[in-house]
Amino acid sequence: MTALKKSSLTEPELVLALQSKDPAVLKTLYSMYSSALYGVISRIITHTELAEDVLQETFVKIWQSAAHYDNTKGRLFTWMMNIARNLSIDKLRSKDFKNSLKNQDIENNVSFVDEQNKVTFNPDVLGVKQLVENLKPDLQAVLNLVYYKGYTHVEAAEKLDLPLGTVKTRIRLAIIELRRSFN
Amino acid sequence: MSVENLKAYIESGVLELYVLGDLSPEETLQVEEMASQNPEVRDEIAAIELAMENYAMQNAIEPSADVETKLFEKLGLQNEDEAETIGSTPQYQEQSRIVRLDNSDGKIRTLRFALVACIALLVVSGIALLITYNKLNAAHDQIASLNLDKQKFAGIVSQLEYENKGLDNMVTMADSKEWATIRMSGQAFSPNSKMNVYWNKKDKSVLINYVAMDLPKTDAQHEYQLWALVNGKPVSLGVFGKTDSATHEALQKMQTIQEAQAFAVTIEPMGGSVNPTMEKLSVMGGV
Repeated sequence: MTALKKSSLTEPELVLALQSKDPAVLKTLYSMYSSALYGVISRIITHTELAEDVLQETFVKIWQSAAHYDNTKGRLFTWMMNIARNLSIDKLRSKDFKNSLKNQDIENNVSFVDEQNKVTFNPDVLGVKQLVENLKPDLQAVLNLVYYKGYTHVEAAEKLDLPLGTVKTRIRLAIIELRRSFN
Repeated sequence: MSVENLKAYIESGVLELYVLGDLSPEETLQVEEMASQNPEVRDEIAAIELAMENYAMQNAIEPSADVETKLFEKLGLQNEDEAETIGSTPQYQEQSRIVRLDNSDGKIRTLRFALVACIALLVVSGIALLITYNKLNAAHDQIASLNLDKQKFAGIVSQLEYENKGLDNMVTMADSKEWATIRMSGQAFSPNSKMNVYWNKKDKSVLINYVAMDLPKTDAQHEYQLWALVNGKPVSLGVFGKTDSATHEALQKMQTIQEAQAFAVTIEPMGGSVNPTMEKLSVMGGV
């Protein structure tokens, strides 16, 4: 579904339009990437409202700092994903988020579970989930912390009581597994 | 950098951390430096990016529709319906925009009606005011002409009262045996004039009646003088004023005369003359 939308504009065209501040491109960008970025954000922030706030902030930042994107240094999505991840982690550590945790009631949790279940409607995800689950437990633990919980590799090393080099290697191995599954 | 070193660099996992944005600014610069010099590093980064992108795409979760609405509101952008974008959210946006426009249209329409009503009311009020003003003017004119009429009638009434009084006196004197009425007729100076003089046989008093006289008009410097002819000599019996003056009593008493053969009236300068001006002999009548 997302792949189909993406085919409508090539990445260089998208970047050019974005940097010339064409309002139409933001809409295209949103329809192409909002759900992928929301997937990233909502794995770090499980509270639906806060996650959606971060998604909005992410696109605001994409719009406002488009000039800073340099396509020689990486793909557009990587740049956007890192904005989303950084904002998510900032939010996770903010007072705002800690307060909302206290107020979160059962209904919100239920709706969050529903949100999570939505993923299973995407048939491709089943394979990916299975893959991540089939990772060796030590690889899975690192990927969980870094990708799903928004830990830095330094924090993950502390948490798992592992040397930094080992954490880096395990992240690499986990991503290599992902790469294999897509090829 | 040697092939072995390059391989070790790639396998250190630093490129994954680079893609995940988990490096310090200095480390990031180092990786970018390596990538610009080594195609292998560049390719490796691209492969990691693609893997993460695919992974994210396939773990996508659709956010609720109002995130997009709020986003475009926040950025102050018009959420235009683009042909290349498909989705239900743009339609929602478009709809809400239309609702807003409708509301403001309705307000404008209401205000327009109000304006038209106000103008209509103003025109009607203006016309009513004009009509009232005209009617008021007509009423003023009417009052003025009625006042004029009233004065005229008052004048007529006092004139009539005056004449009526004179006539009453005439009737009374004509009935009485004591009074002799001497009719004087017009002379060469004014052939159409006439006048009566009333002479009491007992006490010899003389009266004239303004109602019973028709004398030629005098000016401000002249008045009438009544004469009695006694044995061919004129004797003045006094002067009297204009015949049409309503300020006088109808009757005026003149000087008494013991005997007279005739009476006459001349026009003399104000205050009268010792001898009559015969050229202005108006009326004369014998006893």
